Amino acid sequence: MKNEIGKLYIELGEEFNFYAPIKEKGNLIFKRVLNPDDIVLDYLNSKVPPKEILFPKMEVLFEYKTDGKDVTEIIERTDLDEKNIIFGIRPCDAHSFVLLEDFFAFGDYQDEIFLKKRANTIVIGIGCNTPKSTCFCTSVEGHPFMKDDMDIFLVDLSEKYLVEGVSEKGKELMKRLKWLTDAKKQDIQKAEELSKQAEESFETKLDLKDIDKKLDPNFEHPIWAEISDICIGCGTCSFLCPTCTCFDVIDENDQYNNKGRRIRIWDTCQFCLYTLHTSGHNPRDSCIERCRNRILHKFCYYPENYNTLGCVGCGRCIQLCPVNNDLRAIIEKVNNIKKEKEEKISA
Amino acid sequence: MPNPYIPMLTTVKSIVSENKVNDIKTLELEFKKEEEYKNFNYIPGQFAEISLIGKGECPIGIASSPTEEGSIKFTIKKMGTVTTRFHNCEVGDAVGIRGPCGNGWPIEYMKGKNIVVIGGGFAFSTLRSLVVYLLDDKYRKDYKEITVIYGNRDSGEVLYQDVLEEWKKRDDINVILTIDREEEGWTERVGFVAPVVKEVAPSPNNAIAVVCGPPIMIKTTIVVLEELKFKDEQILNSLEMRMKCGIGKCGRCNIGNKYVCIDGPVFSLAELKKLPSEY
Repeated sequence: MKNEIGKLYIELGEEFNFYAPIKEKGNLIFKRVLNPDDIVLDYLNSKVPPKEILFPKMEVLFEYKTDGKDVTEIIERTDLDEKNIIFGIRPCDAHSFVLLEDFFAFGDYQDEIFLKKRANTIVIGIGCNTPKSTCFCTSVEGHPFMKDDMDIFLVDLSEKYLVEGVSEKGKELMKRLKWLTDAKKQDIQKAEELSKQAEESFETKLDLKDIDKKLDPNFEHPIWAEISDICIGCGTCSFLCPTCTCFDVIDENDQYNNKGRRIRIWDTCQFCLYTLHTSGHNPRDSCIERCRNRILHKFCYYPENYNTLGCVGCGRCIQLCPVNNDLRAIIEKVNNIKKEKEEKISA
Repeated sequence: MPNPYIPMLTTVKSIVSENKVNDIKTLELEFKKEEEYKNFNYIPGQFAEISLIGKGECPIGIASSPTEEGSIKFTIKKMGTVTTRFHNCEVGDAVGIRGPCGNGWPIEYMKGKNIVVIGGGFAFSTLRSLVVYLLDDKYRKDYKEITVIYGNRDSGEVLYQDVLEEWKKRDDINVILTIDREEEGWTERVGFVAPVVKEVAPSPNNAIAVVCGPPIMIKTTIVVLEELKFKDEQILNSLEMRMKCGIGKCGRCNIGNKYVCIDGPVFSLAELKKLPSEY
């Protein structure tokens, strides 16, 4: 269906909000498609993760009207039932949706805004034939051809795509695409070969076994000062992380029109203000504590709360860090703590 | 599945200035919808996200007890943008509320025990809620001796003077007030909370100590309680953290893998010792 992505859009674009990777001002991002010719699929990964479709940088929680002073009416969102297709997502980002869903559904309070949108979204993903040098999904229980978290899975066979319905939702949708032809045996074989090649091409293989148990007793270890030494606290690593979920809440009041809205905006634990109390006290006062919190959240607190790592190995935090504070090197340092200790004991 | 970010609406029923410098006020709120008030089932020690819609939202401990029916109270110190706006409120203004949030004081676990309530400064609000609850006719028999030790900088800072007077008149509660420095006309104790606790020396036998106040007061008081042989499980604290959502989603109030807004704000010292000291 290589030349038929346009057809897919025309067939489904009216019923669904159709999102796909698009080039905009030199950056590749997931956006609502208006012209199917804009869709770019020969990319490795988008700069901003597609989590922003379900959890945007800025999002309305509710709107309100006032009588000039007091609120008179609260208006809930009505657009949460719209149907979405996210097309061209990579396996790491598709897996991030599973983690995000777990997070927003965790505990007694359900984040209806995220969960409703997630339930109304069909994910059509594509395997990664040539992973980047910064990719490490195979280290975090992922795979460049992992299709489990998608509804429909594509493999790029250069002259055409191999299309597979994974979930019931995906299979149902595929039935509607009458122009799809049955896959040939050699196509499936070729896909398997590509998968194997991709897996073997990974340069990084991190040892993340029991990482939470290694991190937990080393909360006060001097490596955190070492790790945070070059960090400039810009927050890129967390803003562009597909599993980061922190947000700030503010009111935008339009006093001249007697209305307004309460919104949430992405926030990051890398900023000083994030935890600053009104009293002036700050539990994570320095870059050391803030860097540590990011690593511990993903590799210690996440396993403790959800029994899985809070990282999908997309490599954005490595690729986009302005000072090259490489997550892989941090993990290695943590792994070495124990080794150093053992060496000292044996010496 | 309702949207958990939508506040319920209340009206300011009364405003009381609580201290001489007039930077602490108690706002009494009345729900606009009776049904929402009926469903607002809280226990002492819980908090709520209250907001002046259009100005902002903040988490504040509930100062009233669920036994005081009809309305709920919040004691607010003028500190930042939102709390300053609350101080400018007038009777009749609309206030949004989400909650109740957090775990609250473990009133079931405390049953059958002697309760030692130790508070400092304006952190006394959820302790007021607790003591009013414990003294209620319906629940008083469930708890043994009640001791309240409440310290302040000076006499002008003592909150809830009306209920304190009522408590002092009763014979089933021992109320001890203290201020930091001597003052003319002050007949109660003088000194910081920790040394006063040492003087009073409550027995740890079958007791629970509830400690709430500024960090330095908590730290010094815990040392004294440990000297008095209180075990970690017998010491309860209520923590404060910067919060936005109050429901474990916005991220910022974590201590290790726990969120103060949903796993707290009340933790026993035993629980706190298991967490990283990042609070």
